[in-house]
Amino acid sequence: MRQILNIAHYEMLHIIKEKTLFLMVFLVPLGYAALFGAAYVTAVLNNVPIAIVDLDDSKLSREIAAAFANSPHFKVVDDIKTYPELQEGMKNGRLRAGVVIPEHFEQKLARHELTRVLTVYDGSNLIWGYNTRKYIREVFNEFTASSTASYLAGMGYTKNEIRSIMDTVSLNTEVWYNPTFSYTNFLFLGLVMIILHQIGLLSVSLTVTREKERKTWLQFLSAPVPAWKIFTGKAIPYFAANFFNYALLLWFASRFVHVKIGGSPGLILVLGLLYDLVITGAGFFISLHASNSLQVTRYVMLLGVPFFMISGYTWPGTHIPAFINYLARLLPSTWMVLGFRQVVLKELDMSYVLPYIRALGLMAVLAVLPAVTFAKRLRPRPQGGPVLNNGPSYPARWK
Amino acid sequence: MLKQVMAIIRRELFYMWHDRGLRNILLWGSLTGLLLLYATYSAQVLKDIPTAVVDLDNSSASRELVDKIGQAEYLKLVASVASYDDLQELIKQGKAVVGVVIPENFARDVALGRQTRVLAVIDGSNMIYATNASAAVLTVTRTVSAQAGVSALVARGVQLQQAKAAYQAFDFSEEPWFNPALNYAYFLVLALALNIWQQCCTLAACLNVIGERGMKSWLQIKASGISKFRFFASKSIAQVFIFMAIVLPLYVLAFGVFKLPLNCSWPSFLLFTLAFAIAIHSIGTLASSFARNAVDAARFGMIIALPSFVLSGYTWPLEAMPAYLQKAAWVLPQTWFFQGLNYFAFKNAGWHLMSHYILAMLAVAAVCYGAAAVFIARS
Repeated sequence: MRQILNIAHYEMLHIIKEKTLFLMVFLVPLGYAALFGAAYVTAVLNNVPIAIVDLDDSKLSREIAAAFANSPHFKVVDDIKTYPELQEGMKNGRLRAGVVIPEHFEQKLARHELTRVLTVYDGSNLIWGYNTRKYIREVFNEFTASSTASYLAGMGYTKNEIRSIMDTVSLNTEVWYNPTFSYTNFLFLGLVMIILHQIGLLSVSLTVTREKERKTWLQFLSAPVPAWKIFTGKAIPYFAANFFNYALLLWFASRFVHVKIGGSPGLILVLGLLYDLVITGAGFFISLHASNSLQVTRYVMLLGVPFFMISGYTWPGTHIPAFINYLARLLPSTWMVLGFRQVVLKELDMSYVLPYIRALGLMAVLAVLPAVTFAKRLRPRPQGGPVLNNGPSYPARWK
Repeated sequence: MLKQVMAIIRRELFYMWHDRGLRNILLWGSLTGLLLLYATYSAQVLKDIPTAVVDLDNSSASRELVDKIGQAEYLKLVASVASYDDLQELIKQGKAVVGVVIPENFARDVALGRQTRVLAVIDGSNMIYATNASAAVLTVTRTVSAQAGVSALVARGVQLQQAKAAYQAFDFSEEPWFNPALNYAYFLVLALALNIWQQCCTLAACLNVIGERGMKSWLQIKASGISKFRFFASKSIAQVFIFMAIVLPLYVLAFGVFKLPLNCSWPSFLLFTLAFAIAIHSIGTLASSFARNAVDAARFGMIIALPSFVLSGYTWPLEAMPAYLQKAAWVLPQTWFFQGLNYFAFKNAGWHLMSHYILAMLAVAAVCYGAAAVFIARS
């Protein structure tokens, strides 16, 4: 035990003495979370800039314009009145949607001639596109309902009769788990898990490469300390720091970004511990086999984007080809982000989260096992050719 | 002078090729990213949202309603379950995203003109699913309510034509511009691949200064009498050339093979990309000019490169971010590039706007190169 604590103490000194590493372990995760939290804090996309091109200028067309102006989802841009201006506004980003009411619209409608209102929206950014399409349909549904009610009132029906007719079949919609369509609830915690993955992996994966670069790894290899003790001692500070960051970022997300964090605290704890264990074990294993810190840093930093995108957290797994899904299932981040959503957003119990816990548990064993049983021998230096930055050193200011 | 510049360029290309890690990243990083992401988004449009129905009435009217739901845009009936609890279970397990519950006596109530309520449930935990499902349900709602209302009016003795007129106040059509099929691959794949590309380039640029000054051969270079400006400028030309060389196959694959949209001209788009390549190179150079070693330089460069895509507003719009963050985001060349990617590749917003964007990125580059020059000169 004493040996493990000594190694852990020595590793902790490294973290504290190396300023950049210290900042990376204790400040960058919170910094990134704060940055992303600020970006997503509004949560819902409102005030979509929309232009109303009213070529009819009738009572009905003005009512349609008013329906959009009164919607909290839209912000009407008043100075755009013509179709070419609408086209230009959509191109240069001043507008994200438009409504074009054709000439003689009301007259044609009264004569039962074919006419329709054109709605356009920007499909180049599908976050704008999907939301705007939904908002436009909501406005038109409400407008149609109110104009039907007026029409029926004109036919002499009373309020109660109108309600009875119009609600003959009413389709009530309930949105579960995220009723406000909050983008923050949807995305933020997934990003937090990727931040923890990246920073955790990057920190721990330098633990052996640093020793190799300082030529002190030989001391570990030749000392009468078993491999599992070296791993445990070196991993403890990172494991503890990663778990501290996990707890800190969840608290930050809930307190300042107002992300929904429901579900069982026990499950949140178990998922966090397993995820941390996989990252720590995998990071140590990578560090054992990497030549130097530069190589590790370069490769690990590039993992975040593809890992997150193929996980099925945003674009659903049902629409991802099977071979990508299989690939994604080999990654701990996939199980963590999906399992975490089951717990904190959907507030599901153990029976629904068990597959995720099992997968992360298995990965933890697979990551830790090779890390604790590594062969205590020096790997031969890479051979052949003028290879740069691939040995146990990399460019650094010499003193 | 030209001979010396060419010699430094050749040397830099040799060094980059023999740095195996860097070579792998530059050659395969963004290309693998593009292929992987294109495969991920190969469904392209989010159709066939899994929908389950609980038909507690099991009448011809309820079956007709189920058919309508099945035919609705983007919805796909995947299960018909016996109870609300079963539906809840399917949604919890993620096997259904939309659930519709048709109550008992639905047909009888409709026939008697009594009010009846159909419940639609949407799993809101994945917003991409939820916004599409919600839009689809809104259309079903309008159609179902209108048909029921018309029937109710006819049952009250109103002529069919007049009843229809009450519900068909007017029609409206929807046109999604710039991406008519709402193709998610068009929207995201190239941008994400370019995000990986800019990260790879930043990693390479982060070696620009420390990669020389951190080696003992730096003494030889200093002793040779070559000016620092000429030396690093020549190295930078080689690196930016490589950045452009690795983005070309990416573009050929994206626009030529995958047919992702490119509505502006190729030369102008390449020029726009070149300005960005220079800007990210300048950031890497700046990081490498003050870092103590190559690892720190890579960390500094990536601290900016990693979150820049989220902050660029390419996905979650800049307009929805707080004002101070919007201002901060416009300092980053990534914001100009990814916003520009949307404006020029999709919308062909014109040379006037593009020149503005190019100048902004070059201004960032000038500031970063200037700061790097100060650090180099001071050392």
